[in-house]
Amino acid sequence: MSPNLRENWRIILLAVMVLLSTIAIFGPVGGDQTVPGANTANQTDDPTNLQFGLDLSGGTRIRAPLIGITAEDVELQEMENEEVRALERNLTTELSVSTQDLTIRTSANETNTVEVFSNNITKAQLESALDEHGVNHGEIRDGVTDQTLSETERTLDDKISGAGLSGGDASISRSATGGEAFIVVEVPNMPREAVKELINEQGTVLVVAHFPQNGSYRNVPMFSQEGIAHVGTMQRSQTGEPNVPVDLTPRAGDNFTNAMNTFGFTSPQGTTNCTYQSNPDDSGHCIYTVSNGKVVNDTIVEGTIVQGAGLNPGLASTIRNGDFQNAFQVETSNASEAQRLALNMRAGALPTNLDLDAGTTSYIEPSLAQRFKSLSVVTGLLAMLAVGAVVGWRYREPKIAIPMVLTAAAEVYLLLGFASIIGMALDLSHIAGFIAVIGTGVDDLVIIADEILQQGDVSTNRVFRSRFRKAFWVIGAAAATTVIAMAPLAVLSLGDLQGFAIVTIVGVLIGVLVTRPAYGDVIRNLVMD
Amino acid sequence: MIDIDVPDVPYRRYSNRQLVAIPAAVLLVALLIIAGWYVTTGAPVTPGIDFTGGTELQISSDQSADQIRSTFESELSVPVETVTQSGSSYIVTFQATDQSEIDQIQSVAKSSGYEIEQIQTRSATFSGDAQRQSLIGIGVAFVGMSVLAFVFFRTFVPSIAIVLSAFSDLVIPIAVMNILGMRLSLGTVAALLMLIGYSVDSDILLNNSILRRSGDFYESTYRARRTGVTMTVTSIIAMIVMTILSSRFVFGIPLLPQVGIILVVGLTADLMNTYLMNVSLLRYYVYEGVAK
Repeated sequence: MSPNLRENWRIILLAVMVLLSTIAIFGPVGGDQTVPGANTANQTDDPTNLQFGLDLSGGTRIRAPLIGITAEDVELQEMENEEVRALERNLTTELSVSTQDLTIRTSANETNTVEVFSNNITKAQLESALDEHGVNHGEIRDGVTDQTLSETERTLDDKISGAGLSGGDASISRSATGGEAFIVVEVPNMPREAVKELINEQGTVLVVAHFPQNGSYRNVPMFSQEGIAHVGTMQRSQTGEPNVPVDLTPRAGDNFTNAMNTFGFTSPQGTTNCTYQSNPDDSGHCIYTVSNGKVVNDTIVEGTIVQGAGLNPGLASTIRNGDFQNAFQVETSNASEAQRLALNMRAGALPTNLDLDAGTTSYIEPSLAQRFKSLSVVTGLLAMLAVGAVVGWRYREPKIAIPMVLTAAAEVYLLLGFASIIGMALDLSHIAGFIAVIGTGVDDLVIIADEILQQGDVSTNRVFRSRFRKAFWVIGAAAATTVIAMAPLAVLSLGDLQGFAIVTIVGVLIGVLVTRPAYGDVIRNLVMD
Repeated sequence: MIDIDVPDVPYRRYSNRQLVAIPAAVLLVALLIIAGWYVTTGAPVTPGIDFTGGTELQISSDQSADQIRSTFESELSVPVETVTQSGSSYIVTFQATDQSEIDQIQSVAKSSGYEIEQIQTRSATFSGDAQRQSLIGIGVAFVGMSVLAFVFFRTFVPSIAIVLSAFSDLVIPIAVMNILGMRLSLGTVAALLMLIGYSVDSDILLNNSILRRSGDFYESTYRARRTGVTMTVTSIIAMIVMTILSSRFVFGIPLLPQVGIILVVGLTADLMNTYLMNVSLLRYYVYEGVAK
């Protein structure tokens, strides 16, 4: 038996891989794995482990760059942390942007950067602001840093899962040429507007001290999510007002203590004079909870004031005595608002917004997508039947034609197994790739069949091997060309086409290394018996 | 031992010049069409939404295409570009790319009682980038293929025959796209790249058979042609089936018909280029190029 096994090792390898694919496609999967971008919502009626992308399951996909410009290689001359924060504040004032809109990132081993997240600030404006403060820097470019990208990705992921959207996902996609990066958000079964609404708000929760000074009102931001160490669950005060208890970070706590004392919030008058409910235009000393807001030059320029309330007298006295333990209650006006703020505080604020006008959005109705799924399977099967008919007519010999069609089918099956293992979410572009693989596969099988079956019987293994090698040279050369032709698509960020190229390349490799050689063995067994 | 159905081409009766005349003429006509298109429209082939930016809305409605167009035109400030029927649905395209404009389009569609099946928007900046990247992609793929051809055969005429044939296989479908009024999409770019791969298969087979195998020129050509024609015809038929089934007249699946039609045209062009142009270039090389 052993020589037989050894001669047919290619067929055995193919059989083993078909078996592995079957396990990958139909076998039970350990744990509850959710694959990014794939729809897991209606998996119960699907016996396979295959994941389907939005084209074939329905939902919304948004792909957009982040708003922002970055100054690279900023020289900070070993500035202390406090000095860096001071510079940050100065630049913020210089450019008239809010504190959230400008970030200096320092790093021990990488270079420092200054990022501005605003559509209103040009590169030239940032340049002159930096020059004004004598800050040396490298190139100022469009786009944000990698840290900002991954922070945004993480925050969006938290927001999507926090909102209970199963199977939704945010990811980073980069173009190989320009280095431009995009955020891709995919949410199955959700219409475009709902997803847009979810990701479009930055989700900033800002606590602002609002107080009179020299005849006018000032608004000083106290802390946002960055200053919050822990977010509790919504509770109600004795008067029934909903609030969210939070713990501040030590730094935010010190800053808050300092500000409350300095701005008169802890004075007997300061704790009682907030009249936000009755007279919001002249409200006295109030702590504002601001959602999605920004403060520029002591004015709240964006967002909504959710609630305004005086500092609790009990809290005021602990702050005055220096006993503040960093526990604070973020006041809100109603329960649903409180829930939303808690979600945003947990997920964090987006460092910057997605520039939707410079991206792509697409929505496909789930029922239409499901229809595409079944119809493209039918299309593939009928195309395969047509291939079978042509080779059947050409060879007039089912023993040659049937294994040929089966081998081509096995290639697609192995590819499905591969897709299942790596958790690739199948889209229409992948289906087009499968059809391309069947096409090149059958081409190669015809070459093998014709080469081995040419005039003169294959009497010995030596003759077979020499003919097989000749056929393989042509197949290998053709496969190398296909891989080269598809390689640019696999690395360029052309979205849809990346999947197509990857499927074609992997399919050609599986074909040349596993399935097509196995077909050679099948033919040999046929002619040498 | 096996029946052969490939029609015989009486190569001996025609000179190289006569054989090359047909593919050369077709290539020339194709190039003229593309050049004419470039002069009149400013682009060798009209770019679609993927490359210009815009919004594509697929809705289901029992109204006619004209009714749908006039509904949108009367209620929107953004102009309607095209309305095409696809099965029981309509695909309406707009040049609008701003989120506010898209919100408007969506609300008009809803208030007019159209069911939104699909909506896609590509911004102009994003699409400009896609156009640049696609050009780079096709360029790199073509150069890579050419380099490989020279690496495989290491002689000028057989290698350049492969490159020429692939070039013509790309140019002819692009000209046909213009004639049919098709627009360039990401799907057609993918199909053109796939065509580079397919085109080279039969050429490598032919070159290999003539240059690296024993036997007389005509016998080698015949052998390669028998296999090569089977390959290409099989692919053409598979693609015809896919194109018809996925077209808007039958299943209405996007992406696949564009890929299919380009491949059908390109593979048909490949039959002509390989077995008329490449055969005569190789015959010149074998009988005259090498002998001298």
